[in-house]
Amino acid sequence: MSGAGNREQVFPTRMTLGLMKGKLKGAQQGHSLLKRKSEALTKRFRDITQRIDEAKRKMGRVMQTAAFSLAEVSYATGENISYQVQESVQRARFQVKAKQENVSGVYLPTFESYINEDINDFKLTGLGRGGQQVQRAKLVYTKAVETLVELASLQTAFIILDEVIKVTNRRVNAIEHVIIPRTENTISYINSELDELDREEFYRLKKVQEKKQEAAAAAEAEEKAAQEAAIAAGAELSKITRVTSNEEITNDAQEVEKLALANGDDDLLKENEDDVIF
Amino acid sequence: MSSASESMAKRKLLATIADEDSVTGLLLAGVGQISNEVGKESNFLTVIPGKTTVDQIEDAFDNFTTGRDDIAILLINQHLADLIRYKVDSYTNAFPAILEIPSKDHPYDPEKDSILKKVRRLFGE
Amino acid sequence: MEGLYFNINNGYLEGVVRGYKSGLLTTNQYVNLTQCDNLEDLKLQLSSTDYGNFMANYSGPLSTSVLQDNLSKKLFQQFQYVKSQSSGKLTKFMNYINYGYMIDNVILMITGTLHERDKSEILRKCNPLGWFDTLPTLSIATDIESLYSTVLIDTPLAPFFKNCVSADDLDDLNIEIIRNKLYKNYLESFVEFVTSEFDGPDQEIMIRLLTLEADKRVINITLNSLNNSDLSSEDKLSLFPSYGKLYPTYHLQLSQAEDIEQLKSIVEYIGDYKDIFNESGDASGLRGLGDWFYLLEMQFCRNAFTQQFTLSTVYAWLKSKEQEIRNITWIAECIAQNQKNRIDSYISVY
Repeated sequence: MSGAGNREQVFPTRMTLGLMKGKLKGAQQGHSLLKRKSEALTKRFRDITQRIDEAKRKMGRVMQTAAFSLAEVSYATGENISYQVQESVQRARFQVKAKQENVSGVYLPTFESYINEDINDFKLTGLGRGGQQVQRAKLVYTKAVETLVELASLQTAFIILDEVIKVTNRRVNAIEHVIIPRTENTISYINSELDELDREEFYRLKKVQEKKQEAAAAAEAEEKAAQEAAIAAGAELSKITRVTSNEEITNDAQEVEKLALANGDDDLLKENEDDVIF
Repeated sequence: MSSASESMAKRKLLATIADEDSVTGLLLAGVGQISNEVGKESNFLTVIPGKTTVDQIEDAFDNFTTGRDDIAILLINQHLADLIRYKVDSYTNAFPAILEIPSKDHPYDPEKDSILKKVRRLFGE
Repeated sequence: MEGLYFNINNGYLEGVVRGYKSGLLTTNQYVNLTQCDNLEDLKLQLSSTDYGNFMANYSGPLSTSVLQDNLSKKLFQQFQYVKSQSSGKLTKFMNYINYGYMIDNVILMITGTLHERDKSEILRKCNPLGWFDTLPTLSIATDIESLYSTVLIDTPLAPFFKNCVSADDLDDLNIEIIRNKLYKNYLESFVEFVTSEFDGPDQEIMIRLLTLEADKRVINITLNSLNNSDLSSEDKLSLFPSYGKLYPTYHLQLSQAEDIEQLKSIVEYIGDYKDIFNESGDASGLRGLGDWFYLLEMQFCRNAFTQQFTLSTVYAWLKSKEQEIRNITWIAECIAQNQKNRIDSYISVY
């Protein structure tokens, strides 16, 4: 716990104390939740990283096979078909659809290959010769692109997860190292202030009580004198009055003390005081 | 996340920056799309050594990554990505995803891949 | 008798071509090539063959496409030399050989025009064997209409365009169909030329080769359009060259074949083609059909050299050379891509 400076600027009242306690509880709960989220994400992240590594290596092989199928085409046709292919392109047959997957509240996009079989820009390519090789190369490359799409999903997930994990970890750290200590500091500050107030109050009440007792003693002495003066006249009535007032004072003092110990509210104390004075 | 999913639904195409053979192969697989819309004329760039300039590659890269909103994945030959490495490395968006692919004459080198570099950095290797 | 006067005009050229022929790579040389570990090695091996220092002027990273370009260049030089020395019938014959490549170039130009590509870029991609003086003018035409009416009419290919293509047909979808129609017309005209101008063993050899070519196309077109609903059987029929062993008896049946089994059963009626599908059927022969035809063609070409005093040696030599380039490219591709287990699927007959 750092110095008194690191706390929130609040009035040290019981209400704020309640608020702060709520906040601390919330922060702790949030911390453990975020921590768990971060752990889940990191687990996923490691999994993806490993798969990316594998997939990238696999891609190397797949693309090599694909490139080789193109060599077969050029062998069979005896010419370079690339120009022909580039010029006959019209619409994309191979598209992707983005789907979302929810991992601990994070939406990870995954690409899904989507092949529109109606579109075929290369139906007639190599009609005269090499058609089978062209079709085969097409198949091989389609497979290869599917692998690439898979890899792209992984990679996108990787980037997003990377980002989310960073944010989550920042939050976890912020809660752990800033919010929780500060809230705790604030609470202890409020507590110490309240204690201070209580001690003052207690002392004040004691003082009041003392004064009251003095006053009561003086009144008693006076009354005694008066009693003695009017002893013959109204003995019955005066006795009742004295007992009542005595009882009242003792009850009040006890009540005040009890309240002070229970950290009662200032207003309440004041009210009681008024009662006493009255 | 809703806006992201909206923009994702639009992204359907695979763009390509590659040498002639790779482009031919990928086009055979059917990734090519030609249209008359300005800025979306074609989604592939054939790089011919000695003819295509680095500037052209950069322009295509910018167009495919930021200019167009219908590209989901950008496939780029690794040896071409090397030419604009600073751009590829500083590209951090998730969409479109950039994928470095090997070409016929340049086998794949995992050491250079910007994603794998990140992976290694993360695990402190 | 024909041998008596043959040498007056063509004796020298036959000698040259036979010289070229003996420069074709032999099986042993191929074995050496397949032992190479990288393209530099391959280049070194090739420089000890007839190719000599064909790559001497090239500095820079080697790739299979560079190799292929240089090999083709060499072939073109030799062909050009023979052609420039030729006269009369032989020139005509060699023109006919050129027409086949011109078709591809014209189709390339049309495709480029349709997509408004940079013309110089396309010209670079054209096969030099199919070059003709008016080829660059094709690029002047800005739209298909004018391309057809003003330019194509003046090309050497005009007779093939006649009656088969109208301006309306020249759009994207049909480009492959046009190519095959042109090729059909070309083949038919070539056969006509051969039957009228050649005689004796010359004609025999050329007819055999062209028959094979025609049948190869028919079978390929049928096979490649099996699952293609865009092409009706009439369309297919119009693409088949009216020639070959399958013509005319089986063409209609082939055009209506719906699956590979039907195709097989039809083709098997022809004794020579009986085992096409047997060989392509097994797992290793993925390139089966193409290889089978290539092999047959090469055997025919090799046999062509057994006859004396023939012009068909030029054709046979050119085809052999083309196959050789394909073989070398294949080997280079296998080496470059580390696929050595497939390296042996080249075709060598010499």
